[in-house]
Amino acid sequence: MATIEERIKQVTARVLKLNPEEIRPEHNFAADLGAESVQSIELVAMFEQEFGIEMEEDAALAVETVGGAIDFIRDVCRQQGVETEG
Amino acid sequence: MNTERKSHTLVDADRPNLLEDRFPHALPPLIRLTGPVVETIDGKPAQFDVSDVKKRDIVITDTTFRDGQQSRPPYTIDQMVHIYDLLAKLGGPNGVIRQTEFFLYTKNDRETLRRCRELGHTYPECTGWIRAVKGDFRLVKEAGLRETGMLTSCSDYHIFHKLKFPSRKACMDSYCDVVKAAFDAGVRPRCHLEDITRSDIEGFVLPFIDRLMELSSAVPDELSVKVRLCDTMGFGLSYPGAELPRSIPKLIYKMNRECGVPSDRLEWHGHNDFHKVHINGGTAWLYGCNAVNTTLFGFGERTGNPPLEGAVMEYIALKGGLCGINTTVITELADYMRSIGLPIPDNYPFAGKAFNTTSAGIHAGGLRQDERIYNIFDTTTLLGRPPRVAITDKSGADGVAHWLNEFFGLKGDDRINKIRVHELARWVIDQYDVQGRLTSISDQELETKAKELYPDLWAKCKAGRN
Repeated sequence: MATIEERIKQVTARVLKLNPEEIRPEHNFAADLGAESVQSIELVAMFEQEFGIEMEEDAALAVETVGGAIDFIRDVCRQQGVETEG
Repeated sequence: MNTERKSHTLVDADRPNLLEDRFPHALPPLIRLTGPVVETIDGKPAQFDVSDVKKRDIVITDTTFRDGQQSRPPYTIDQMVHIYDLLAKLGGPNGVIRQTEFFLYTKNDRETLRRCRELGHTYPECTGWIRAVKGDFRLVKEAGLRETGMLTSCSDYHIFHKLKFPSRKACMDSYCDVVKAAFDAGVRPRCHLEDITRSDIEGFVLPFIDRLMELSSAVPDELSVKVRLCDTMGFGLSYPGAELPRSIPKLIYKMNRECGVPSDRLEWHGHNDFHKVHINGGTAWLYGCNAVNTTLFGFGERTGNPPLEGAVMEYIALKGGLCGINTTVITELADYMRSIGLPIPDNYPFAGKAFNTTSAGIHAGGLRQDERIYNIFDTTTLLGRPPRVAITDKSGADGVAHWLNEFFGLKGDDRINKIRVHELARWVIDQYDVQGRLTSISDQELETKAKELYPDLWAKCKAGRN
């Protein structure tokens, strides 16, 4: 099974139409990866779908970087009892 | 005509004069009248003190269940009882909506009337509607009604071509016999002068009214004949200088002053064939009819009748206050009518889904700065309808979520957040970024897309309503 980081990079690449190998944890979704307002919403929605979780809207949208998303989603998965890494 | 030129000096100001004494925003804009108004009748000036309307006991009467039902499939009994209940709530304890009329011919008609009266509302008073047939008074008596409308058509189109009377005299005698039968039954007759705006006023109508007044003089006041002026084909005119039989001011003058029918026994009933229905009703109020007959949302025969909710707003504007009216019930009634399959156009005043929605970005900007710039009055308080902005590329996911929540009527915890609307938000953005669209997106387009993207929500909130 792919790691959380790999899955987040794949989703981010798909939504923002990027190469997953170019995405790094320190990248800011808006400033570095060019996410526009509606794409931020799409990213949160796609992360929810990918991991089968439900995120609190304001908290999820406050996450700015790929690394921040990895930590945030790992926490949410743990809270919601979702298995993430083999 | 006075052609003397007059110069006008700018009154400079560093603070706005918003004319709030006339545009209070908490109420519909007030109608302030100065009199007298002069109309030339039979070659002589006749004065009307139109400002008197503020003091007179003007009222709204309703014919949603009679004329209103002539333009649509019948309401069920439960629907009519509910609508009647809401009419009482809307008109308030002072009886601004004073009366409503019912058919009496079928078992369902009579059951509806019984159940409406069982609610115990003082207003609107329930009255009947029958043909000008003596035997029909039995129905009125059995229903326990004090008043009934009866057809007394007065144009020669009706007298000769529809009712097949051999002469005007035979027609008048027949009508008067029925009026006497009403008196004998202890029921107040309300004579509906059908097609009056296409009648021979001097040759038939006024002599008939004289007879009615004479008959009324022999009975107690509470039985005296009321007169409904029925503009059956919408030919009535409010314009100064218009001739009889189409002139509303002149018609009312003849009834009121030449025949002596007091204002509280005069009622106007209009039709909208020439887009004049609301203003003609208001004109009748100003010139001396105390009652204007209306239907909810104007539903009525062919093009419809004066819209009741329009008359309510006119009443408030003329009187300068709510007078016990609960205007938010207009929205409740509109929602109910839509729920039972009666279409109300989106741009329909006071009740359409988009009546206070602005599409232009520049208007939306104005609304954001000060609602009063582009909202006709405080629609949030008076109708429970905040002003809205149509969706464009500038609306963002927040705007799209707001639109969807309003559209599905979701409240509290049921409201959906913007994460859940990402597909619709994407579709909106693509309309502009990909398709090159330059116009705002209509509610109809959004509805279609919402149905496609959110079938579960649609099934839960909209099934059976659209």
